[in-house]
Amino acid sequence: MALLSLKNISVAYGKNVVLKNLNLDVEKGELVSLLGPSGCGKTTTLRLIGGFVEAKNGRFVFNGKDYTKIPVHKRNFGFVFQNYALFPHLTVFDNVAFGLKQRNIPKNEIKKRVMEILETVGLKDYADRSPRELSGGQKQRVALARALVIQPDLLLLDEPLSNLDAKLRVKMRLEIRKIQQEYNITAIYVTHDQEECFSISDRVAVMNNGVIEQLDTPQKIYNLPRTEFVANFVGFENFIELELEAKERGGGGFYKLKNGQRFKVTHFNGREYERYVKGAIRPEEIDILNEGGGKETNTLKGIIGISTFLGKHYQYVVETEVGRLLVNGSAHKRYEKGERVTLYFPEDKIVLV
Amino acid sequence: MKKNVYVYLLLLPGLIILLLFLAAPLFSTVFRTFQGNEGLTLAKYIAFFKDSYNRGVYIRTLKLALLTTLIAVILGFPTSYYISRLSRRARGLYIIFAVFPLLTSPVVRSFSWMVILGKNGILNSILLKLNLIEEPLRLLYNEFSIVIGLVYLFLPLMIMSLVGVMENIDEDLIEAAESLGATRREVFIRVIFPLSIPGLIVGSVLVFTGSITAYTTPQLLGGSNTTVLATLIYQNAMSLFDWDTASVVATIMILTTVFVTFLINKLSSRLNA
Ligand SMILES: Nc1ncnc2c1ncn2[C@@H]1O[C@H](COP(=O)(O)OP(=O)(O)OP(=O)(O)O)[C@@H](O)[C@H]1O
Ligand SMILES: [Mg+2]
Repeated sequence: MALLSLKNISVAYGKNVVLKNLNLDVEKGELVSLLGPSGCGKTTTLRLIGGFVEAKNGRFVFNGKDYTKIPVHKRNFGFVFQNYALFPHLTVFDNVAFGLKQRNIPKNEIKKRVMEILETVGLKDYADRSPRELSGGQKQRVALARALVIQPDLLLLDEPLSNLDAKLRVKMRLEIRKIQQEYNITAIYVTHDQEECFSISDRVAVMNNGVIEQLDTPQKIYNLPRTEFVANFVGFENFIELELEAKERGGGGFYKLKNGQRFKVTHFNGREYERYVKGAIRPEEIDILNEGGGKETNTLKGIIGISTFLGKHYQYVVETEVGRLLVNGSAHKRYEKGERVTLYFPEDKIVLV
Repeated sequence: MKKNVYVYLLLLPGLIILLLFLAAPLFSTVFRTFQGNEGLTLAKYIAFFKDSYNRGVYIRTLKLALLTTLIAVILGFPTSYYISRLSRRARGLYIIFAVFPLLTSPVVRSFSWMVILGKNGILNSILLKLNLIEEPLRLLYNEFSIVIGLVYLFLPLMIMSLVGVMENIDEDLIEAAESLGATRREVFIRVIFPLSIPGLIVGSVLVFTGSITAYTTPQLLGGSNTTVLATLIYQNAMSLFDWDTASVVATIMILTTVFVTFLINKLSSRLNA
């Protein structure tokens, strides 16, 4: 059984429904990220789990117990805030010791555990400093140490790295991951940075508009999105309407386009037996052939429109009979505006959504 | 370097006015109290405190001011905390309500307390109607009514100082403390209170200074045996034309205020540690 489950959770601020019948299961020891655009309800989900927000409907079960109505201070969850939320009137040591003092642990034991965790996050020599005297990355480490030292049953992190510069972000996310695995802590991590999310997570929940659209491993999310929203979010910029014509033995099938053209698709993601679907494909997976091109299926004729230089390649807007498509082409050759080309869509690169 | 000189020149007019109309009279007031026949002496102060009546007035004033400050802290703290956690708009509204007493004259305010606390006042009538008392309580013209009047007068200053500090306490800090296992009460003791101390200092100093120097309220709500320092100054200067004693009392008032302000500061930083 999952360690944590959200069952049909709804949350509303006044009339504004922010989470709609949300379901989420997290296993013990797992790091699950909540990924999604601004305002989709990531923070709200995290705050609900933390106990700062009340559910209008639904249940939150943790470790077999109903936690829906348990107050924050009894949950024993570590929370890491986006802006660190260190107590300005306390030293680094006292910040970290806060939760332990709350638990009536003997003084020397507190000292031992605080110094231990400060060592883990590399701040042993900073114990007597005030938070004012720390850099952003150091503050973040203190916040992490403070949440970890209470040996939380669950670690909740809300965009913990978003105030740091790019280099430090990469370093810190590796550290967070390392510590999480070392301590075998179950964690939920909110971010809207895809790379960060993919690199750190066991599983990713992509959220949109108050629901989780897909909960999968980073690889699956990236390669096999199951909905148009997820596909779009991870960089599939082209969506072509398809109608199922014939199933292939062994999976996949033939599809008809709006203009009568046929596409073969050999990808599996569970959507392949629906009649009307969309074929999603990334700009870099479409090949540009000179007019004619020699291939029968999986091609579309088009006219080159605007082009932009993106460093590694040129990106073209190509007008086709089924609409405007974004296509990347080699940086060595630039197609001129108005040039007629044939686009080739490899059968194993089209994802059905 | 040159630029700095000009900047100081700009300060000159204000400085002259301050020196001429504030510092100079203040200095001459204080100075004459130490002047004896031969050089400087504390004789006037010793004489003042030798008089048991004066001592009584001094202690009463100090007691009333400290009591007022204490009550203002006790009433002001929860009120300010509540206000500081409201939405921006609601906060503005509540602040206006809180400050409202400051917008009317102390005379009017004292009179309204007379209406409430008087022998046939609102409070006594209600208590009589409810059969809680048999005859009207003596609520007016004593130290009780002075403290009530002073608290009412100066509580807004306490609330404003505290709200000013408390509204800057990030909600995240409260949530962080809760997530670390602190109950509401513990959050208050371990986070809100220590972070509010600067506001507490400012508020206490304002209320204390205001109370110890208050004249109208003790005069109107107090009785003949509740004289305070401010009334003593007035009596000495205006009725007895004893400017020397009036100056001595004024100086004592100033020194006491400075000393208590210093104590409040010390005490607060002790609490903070
Ligand atoms: N305290 C609040 N009162 C009213 N509405 C709120 C409150 N907090 C959040 N919302 C609304 O709820 C929705 C979801 O907010 P939430 O903070 O969960 O988004 P998010 O996914 O964390 O976004 P971001 O990436 O920008 O942090 C938003 O539309 C927001 O306007
Ligand atoms: Mg957020």
